[in-house]
Amino acid sequence: MSAPEIQWRRLSPRMLLVHPAHELLRQLPLLIGSVVLGSATGNQTWSVAVLVLLVVFGVARWFTTTYRIDGEQIQRREGVLQRTVSSLPRNRIRSVSTDARLLHRLLGLTVVKVSTGREVTGDAEFTLDAVRSSDVPGLRAILLADSLMAEAQEGPPRDRVIARWQPSWLRYSPLSFTGLAMIVAAVGLVYQTGAAVALQDSTLAREGVDAAERFGLVVTVTFGVGAVLVASVVLSVVRSLVTFGNLVLSRREDDGGAGVLHLEHGLLRARESTFDVRRLRGGTIREPLLVRMFGGARLDAVMTGVNGSGEASLLLPPCPSGTVRRVLAELIGRPDVVGGDLRGHGPTATRRRWTRALALPLVLGLAMAGATFVVAVPAVAWLVWGLTVVVAGLLAADRSRALGHRTGDGWLVAQAGSLERRRDCIEAAGIIGWTVRQTFFQRRAGVATLVAATAAGVKGYRVLDVPAEVAWSVAASASPWLVENDWAHE
Amino acid sequence: MVTLVDPANPPSRKAPLVWALAAAIPWTVLAVAQVVWLVLDGRSPGWAHAAAAALTVVGVLTFVVIAPLWRYRVHRWDVSLGSATPAVFTRTGWLVQERRIAPISRVQTVDVHRGPLDRIFGLANVTVTTASSAGAVRIVALDSEVADRIVAQLTDVAAIGDRDAT
Repeated sequence: MSAPEIQWRRLSPRMLLVHPAHELLRQLPLLIGSVVLGSATGNQTWSVAVLVLLVVFGVARWFTTTYRIDGEQIQRREGVLQRTVSSLPRNRIRSVSTDARLLHRLLGLTVVKVSTGREVTGDAEFTLDAVRSSDVPGLRAILLADSLMAEAQEGPPRDRVIARWQPSWLRYSPLSFTGLAMIVAAVGLVYQTGAAVALQDSTLAREGVDAAERFGLVVTVTFGVGAVLVASVVLSVVRSLVTFGNLVLSRREDDGGAGVLHLEHGLLRARESTFDVRRLRGGTIREPLLVRMFGGARLDAVMTGVNGSGEASLLLPPCPSGTVRRVLAELIGRPDVVGGDLRGHGPTATRRRWTRALALPLVLGLAMAGATFVVAVPAVAWLVWGLTVVVAGLLAADRSRALGHRTGDGWLVAQAGSLERRRDCIEAAGIIGWTVRQTFFQRRAGVATLVAATAAGVKGYRVLDVPAEVAWSVAASASPWLVENDWAHE
Repeated sequence: MVTLVDPANPPSRKAPLVWALAAAIPWTVLAVAQVVWLVLDGRSPGWAHAAAAALTVVGVLTFVVIAPLWRYRVHRWDVSLGSATPAVFTRTGWLVQERRIAPISRVQTVDVHRGPLDRIFGLANVTVTTASSAGAVRIVALDSEVADRIVAQLTDVAAIGDRDAT
């Protein structure tokens, strides 16, 4: 008993408002069920009882959740019926991110999420839901004290802004499918709740059908498709604006520590993440075809303790390619890795791109040619087939051109893909294993896929279809330890 | 130009038998189900039964006969302890083959797993995990005493927990 007992702290008392509301939302089916039951039996005691129970449960959650931070670890106790205590060693904390949805923001609350190098999902995540927004900077400084060492300095922290959102970035957002996805989701919701049945009989629907009959089928379909497209573009742009509209990526250098990377964005739902720069193992430049055609790209962090795909690893949303490259070069300090020329993978890899792209159209063409003996194949079908072949060819050419790698000087760069082109820049020191994978066809063609295993990002980074005889050389030029064993031969 | 010679040690001689048995169990269930179908259902055309039977025969041949033998020819493992960078190295697979190497300094845990069939035949599988989910090295179907020896060697060298190995 050397250190005095450190007090368990409760979350913000304002959560007494949020918890019951969340509990009600989460148990909405139960609530609806009880109301239906109540009205069926003519006795609403049931629904009142359920309502009270849920509210009490929500309030109890606040009383039962506590946390404390001591010298070694951060601990959280929670659970009304099942008590759990989770603890994280403080020196294992790699990133701290915060998130404030609308209700939280209105009440001045923020959810704090702490992550370590371990992969965790769902309940295993360490979150404090929620603390006062004004307490967050202090909490973050304490949790990342290891990498910050900010207390020793005087004056305000020296944040250096690396990238700031520009209105011109909005021009890339109509090129994504998020708007369309939102429309599809909304339509699905309407059908699921049964509102579609009500819509079918409404006057609005009848007027629509009347109008369609007046204007004819072609006009109606054109109008409908146009309306969906416009709505999708508008939704994409609005969503992009709301999510990223105030994005600031900044870096805080310290004399002693490695510093931290700080990302904040979100107009309505405010999100902030702080990463330990020592955990940054590189970055992935992603260039989806449509975005790339207009000179755009996006940037993901390759970092231990941060999920490699999805929102968590995002550093920059679609923005000019030059910005992405400048930011990544600044973060990893290696412009040659970010923009340098790549070594191609040779004719076999190119041939495989072409056979893979053209195999399906070829089979389709043969099937259609065979079908001409049985039924008349309309000319339109052949036109579509011709277009498919051309598109497949373009895709193959683009994919072959993209394929390349670059190793040495402590970095591995792998680039591949056309529709979803990505350039993975991985620090070789973070590579903790190599796999040479060959499918049956790859063995016949004499190529292999090289997979670099790391604890960061998406864990496995692939170098596609390198000639089999140089596969280990490529790996060894990134990881010199590969030649220091009994199996290696120069 | 660097090349790595393949690892030297094969799995247990009982490995193909165990793999074949493990594959045979679901295929037997499927075959029995087909026989039941044939007996109970008189209306389905004969060619449907024939096609299903043919698929089952092909499946059994592929997964119960060919795959275990092929895998036994491919699977190799080796542990190099005396070299400058001690490492584990394996070759696995049959249609898709993998060579995987991980330095022991990056090893996080060494686990031994014995399934019911493994226990009957005295086999064990060793999984060497690293901080990357794409980097775990699995040495399957080893004789139990070989597996125990590997685990002892690896845990000795690894000094696991020394650093966080990410």
